[in-house]
Amino acid sequence: MSNGSVDNVELVNDAPRNGSAPGPRRRATAESMAAQQREISVSEFFMKNRHLLGFDNPRKALLTTVKEAVDNSLDACEEAGILPEVWVHIEMVGENRFKVGVQDNGPGIVKKQIPSIFGKLLYGSKFHRLRMSRGQQGIGISAAGMYGLITTGKPVKIISKTSIRKPAHYFEIQIDPKKNKPEILNGKGEGVDIPPNEEGRKYIADHGIEWVEHYETPEGQKPEPLASGTRVTIELEAIYKRGRGSVDEYLEQTAIANPHVTLHYLDPDGEYRTYQRSSQNMPPEPKEIKPHPYGVELGRLVAMLKDADGATLSQFFTGSFSRVSPAVARKICETANLSVRTSAKKVGRGEADALYKAIQETKISAPTTDCISPIGEENLLKGLYNVVPGEFFCSATRPPAVYRGNPFQVEVALAYGGVSNVKKVTLEALREMLAESDARTLRQFIISSFDGLGADAADRILKAAEMPNRMSPAKLKKGAVEQLYHAMQHVNLSEGATMQVLRYANRVPLQFQPAACAITQAIMQTNWRSYGLSQSRGSLPNGPLTVMVHLASVWVPFTSESKEAIADYPEIAKELRLGLQTVGRKLGMFLRRRLKVKQEVERRAIFMRYLGEVAGAVSALNGSDRDKVYADLLRVAERKTKEADAKFDKHGRRVETPEEFGGNVLIVTHESPLPAGGAVAS
Amino acid sequence: MAKKKSANSSSDSNRAKADPAKLSPQDKKTLGSLTGLADGVVDLAHKSRAPHMDVPSRSLSNARYNKTKRYIEMGNNTTRRELFNLSQAKSYMQTLLVSSGCKQLIEEGKTTSIRGLYYLLKHTIDGTKEETFNDQAESDPIIEDVEVLLNALREELHVYASNRGTMVGNIIINDSGDEIDCSRMGSGGYNIPSIVEPEVVQFVKCSAKFILHVEKDTVWRRFNEDKFWRKHNCILTHGGGQPPRGVRRLLHRLHNELGLPIYCVLDNDPWGYYIYSVIKQGSINLAFESKRMAIPEAKYLGLRSIDFERCNLSNSVQIRLNDNDRKRAKQIANYPWFKDKPKWQKEIKKLLDNDFKLEVEALINKGISFVTETYVPERLEEQDWLD
Ligand SMILES: Nc1ncnc2c1ncn2[C@@H]1O[C@H](COP(=O)(O)OP(=O)(O)O)[C@@H](O)[C@H]1O
Ligand SMILES: [Mg+2]
Repeated sequence: MSNGSVDNVELVNDAPRNGSAPGPRRRATAESMAAQQREISVSEFFMKNRHLLGFDNPRKALLTTVKEAVDNSLDACEEAGILPEVWVHIEMVGENRFKVGVQDNGPGIVKKQIPSIFGKLLYGSKFHRLRMSRGQQGIGISAAGMYGLITTGKPVKIISKTSIRKPAHYFEIQIDPKKNKPEILNGKGEGVDIPPNEEGRKYIADHGIEWVEHYETPEGQKPEPLASGTRVTIELEAIYKRGRGSVDEYLEQTAIANPHVTLHYLDPDGEYRTYQRSSQNMPPEPKEIKPHPYGVELGRLVAMLKDADGATLSQFFTGSFSRVSPAVARKICETANLSVRTSAKKVGRGEADALYKAIQETKISAPTTDCISPIGEENLLKGLYNVVPGEFFCSATRPPAVYRGNPFQVEVALAYGGVSNVKKVTLEALREMLAESDARTLRQFIISSFDGLGADAADRILKAAEMPNRMSPAKLKKGAVEQLYHAMQHVNLSEGATMQVLRYANRVPLQFQPAACAITQAIMQTNWRSYGLSQSRGSLPNGPLTVMVHLASVWVPFTSESKEAIADYPEIAKELRLGLQTVGRKLGMFLRRRLKVKQEVERRAIFMRYLGEVAGAVSALNGSDRDKVYADLLRVAERKTKEADAKFDKHGRRVETPEEFGGNVLIVTHESPLPAGGAVAS
Repeated sequence: MAKKKSANSSSDSNRAKADPAKLSPQDKKTLGSLTGLADGVVDLAHKSRAPHMDVPSRSLSNARYNKTKRYIEMGNNTTRRELFNLSQAKSYMQTLLVSSGCKQLIEEGKTTSIRGLYYLLKHTIDGTKEETFNDQAESDPIIEDVEVLLNALREELHVYASNRGTMVGNIIINDSGDEIDCSRMGSGGYNIPSIVEPEVVQFVKCSAKFILHVEKDTVWRRFNEDKFWRKHNCILTHGGGQPPRGVRRLLHRLHNELGLPIYCVLDNDPWGYYIYSVIKQGSINLAFESKRMAIPEAKYLGLRSIDFERCNLSNSVQIRLNDNDRKRAKQIANYPWFKDKPKWQKEIKKLLDNDFKLEVEALINKGISFVTETYVPERLEEQDWLD
């Protein structure tokens, strides 16, 4: 996908190109070729490019569909200033066939827009503007609808409601695969309005669609109705499998990075869970900015020049870019040997080239950075705490910085301790996961199914279960599954666990291609040993910890079109490094202190053990009062080990105050899980 | 906290019941040092300071060879032992336990072996699963610590080591009031007690002209059976390998009080050299006792590394040196008292060149009584020994 500023990409209506080139010998005539030239259908284009669009395989297709819909919902809610609440329902409707329904409490969509949004490939509002949004990630909800249509023949179903009193609009839409145009199937091509009453409810039930009418409220309270919102239902061929790269993972990670969101998830197995929002604060609305000259590639510059109807170069530069004053515009033009009064539209290819070079040579002040809306240190803590178990949490939001004229901001949060997913899984779930797994060996199954588990941990589990590594997961007998389950519950994993890394770009989890990503590289290059973790050179550190890294930017530099890994710009790498070091230092402090307290507690215990004997012997030797000697010695012992006293909780663990760590730290004690954000100091 | 419970430990009450014995002036002096040790603890604890003791160190670095006295002396280095130090807390406690155990022995007028003291003090620490002493190897060095700490001899603490060592010969002694004629001890000999101080053992009459000390029981039996000591008018002793304190102290007294020269017949290996070195110069571990035990004039009669050729022994009696032997031999060659002695250097070099060791028993190769009838008499005759 190019960054071109074109409103509507109408693939089908492109005039067929004339492919004949002059050559020494004509092998074909224009006429003979014309016979072969035909419209490329959208569906053909789609299927050819599905790997770029996130539909490489049936499992990923399910994820991409959910992701497109949820990202749209969150973007719409935030833009409208509504605290987002999203319902994700996935239902299995046949073999390898799923119905995905995603509903939000957003502003809804006006009736006449609905068909284009869901029935036209590459039709969106976020593609062309420079503003931090999730939408940049995907290729649009209509692609998911297209995939559904191709694989099941079923249309996309949309219900959207913009106000509490008004009726909801209901559309069944499919893309005309020849023309890239929406085709409305219901209401004689007009859609249907569903009134907000009993009749409407009956209509919904009769048409195999759903609509969540009320928020979940505690029992006894009056249910609060949803004033507005949108629900998209897509039926598609897919495979549902938990573990890495799954829908479950995406939703969980989304909940972590978006603590202002409430997510309800009904999975295909009928399991229902809710990630309750832990923050009532909407992220500040990101401002839209004009591009900075440094961030504009040559092709984009050419396109922008073409669009600048009637403007002079001076007007073009000052009007289309941020941070370009008339003086800066003149400087650019002078360097490019062009007059500021040249009409922008008339700039030729060579001149554009000169302008592009001139921009790079001209000193232009950095763009404003208020267009970025970070998650914020406090919300990072809340989000992570809400979802990831741990004893110690800390976070750091770096100040905004700029790469190639694009403002960006790095955020890092860390959770230490807690129980691995391996321990949380139920025997039932394990059985299912084994049945679903296409891993060739048990070892591979364990590593790929559970985050934060390295090969070492997998080996230890298998050893404890007394099972060979190479055994195929599908062949496990019933008793063997129990044996494996038992081993998973009981093996001490905290030593063998590797750091779990959660990567985000603009609050959207990046679930694939970790090795290619600048975030992973920055983590591996950080020396975690100096923070008390073990780490072999050039790999992730070991230990029961999760690190989340968020890159927020108006334009996230992905390594490829599939948008799964962040490119390694030096400015970004530096910010990543600094952010990781900040949380690393805090973790190091925590671990050192914990170790110290633990040692002091042990030290005291050892001293105490011998005090009675010493007092007894002394008393026997010189006839002094044994109890007095004991009391005196006890006093000295306590003074000598006073570190150990620093506020013990019931379990002999020290209760620390976050202030000691310079803020943005959350320490959880066993018996009193703090209410989210309860001990946050910022 | 096990505070209340341990307030009246059972050993406390036992102690109270025991009859106080008549104390010798030496006992009173020792008791004084023991009380002083405890007073220091009470004093520091009362001032809220961490108690500690400075134990003279019995390590190699604190042992010096005194060239004029010709024995190993202990230096002035001490090692601090603190109650509130993780690695020292337990040995601190053990040191006080041993001290209180010794006090009990002195007050009751009893003595016990180092093994007995171990059992006297061994119990489970209140409220824990930990033993005061896990095995005797833990209590033995602590006893030595208390000796140097209080500058008191083991006997003065009423503790003795196991007796290992036997004597026969032309001498009559008095041991705790019993007169013993060591020329009439049959095949077993007189068992040398571990305490041989003049209060316990007195020399009544001696016609022997020298002492032949052999390494171990088996060799000693050969000499006794062959009545070597009668033929050569001497005293015959062994110390069961490394001679215990009682044997060394007795040899020292016989040598110094009766002017008897001492000749040693030991295996030709680094261990044999070492035994000789201890008899002659004292040991590093008991450097503080050298004055009362070392016999710088003791002579090394054999076996020698030249004996394989000299006595024309068969190959089958050779025992290969191992790495440890080779290492020890080199160490011993570097001892200050061997360093400047060309004969010793030659002896040890030859051993290393041979790359085998010889036990005294190897001489049996030349005849059962070769050692008593030929080997030793010839060496004595030729005054062929190492010094
Ligand atoms: N759930 C929704 N609520 C409100 N508006 C929506 C919703 N989903 C999509 N839209 C609108 O439709 C547009 C097109 O969405 P999409 O095809 O996913 O592209 P993109 O998200 O990249 O803009 C969005 O930009 C948004 O304006
Ligand atoms: Mg979208």
